Amino acid sequence: MANIKVYSTPTCPWCIKLKAWLKEKGVEFDNIDVSADQEAAKNMIEKSGQMGVPQTEINGKMIVGFNTDAIEAELKSMGKD
Amino acid sequence: MYDTIIIGAGIAGLTAAMYASRKKMKYEIISSDFGGQFMVSGEVLNYPGIVKTTGVEFSMKMEEQMKFNNVNFKTETVKEIKKEGDNFRVITDKTEYETGTIIIATGARARKINVPGEDRLANKGVTYCSICDGPLFGGKAVAVIGGGDSALEAVDFLKDIVSKIYMIVRGDSFTGHEYLIERAKNNPKIDVLFNSETTEILGDKFVEEIKYKQGDEEKDLTVQGIIIEIGRVPNTETFKDFVKIDDHNHIAIDCTTATSVPGIFAAGDCASAHEYQYIIAAGQGCMALIKAARYLAHKKN
Repeated sequence: MANIKVYSTPTCPWCIKLKAWLKEKGVEFDNIDVSADQEAAKNMIEKSGQMGVPQTEINGKMIVGFNTDAIEAELKSMGKD
Repeated sequence: MYDTIIIGAGIAGLTAAMYASRKKMKYEIISSDFGGQFMVSGEVLNYPGIVKTTGVEFSMKMEEQMKFNNVNFKTETVKEIKKEGDNFRVITDKTEYETGTIIIATGARARKINVPGEDRLANKGVTYCSICDGPLFGGKAVAVIGGGDSALEAVDFLKDIVSKIYMIVRGDSFTGHEYLIERAKNNPKIDVLFNSETTEILGDKFVEEIKYKQGDEEKDLTVQGIIIEIGRVPNTETFKDFVKIDDHNHIAIDCTTATSVPGIFAAGDCASAHEYQYIIAAGQGCMALIKAARYLAHKKN
């Protein structure tokens, strides 16, 4: 199973859009609410060096923002698309 | 040949598209993204018929409404528009369209303060979207720059998340809605610094400090987050050689949304009404489409 993590906050519109987009594509992912989990927030910021959400961790890469092209490219390389 | 090409998929463009669809016109709505600025607004408390909603809820409703009305938008970026006889050609990064009318509804984007450190530390503590990134500043001190509605809304959203808010306001008073001003004034967590201008943002990997000038005095604050809410810049660069632009870079329109070029209409935050409200964008989008339809009907006769 693909190990995809979406770091998000509940109020962030692009996070909601991103999760809806992944669901529509039938891609499974773990949602990590970085507003509730400070440790996860720190972890995300350390990994990417970026303090914005959403961020998607896929194939060990951090993709910042509602960047569906970059996520699609990673999914393809995993043979998931 | 299209009846109209609508450029932009914020409230103004989507409203125009909904009317175009219901009128069974031949049209396309083209935008680089869906939703425009309303995607990132927090609470909405002043839209007729809706008591209370949020930007996200509103955008989901809009999507549903577009589906209901068979509006499908094309993800393309407009590069150029040209006149061809009585008609127009819209050139995008993917294709070209011939059309009788154009509705420009490209909205606006966040204005930058243009100080050293702002670009380098963007997404590293500097943000233009408080409801997106605000929760990452939990328990931290932040500076909110601006004194209008957007800045006050950001403060209202952040006040229960962060430990301290410094509002850096250039003028000597707020310019937003009274109810938001009251909320900001009555919170001991919030320090308001009027007559203050940001001069630099500092930090190694992330934001650590902000420098500002209050009168002649140079001061600084230790903050981990900087939320910039100093208004908007209209997205009109693509059209500046084609239609008349006003002194503030907005597309000049009359009260019927007509621009300086017959057959081209503009609506919403890119146009020259200079009042940025959902309901105004919706109203102008509707007006622009109806006027475009009338323009085509007149031309046929």
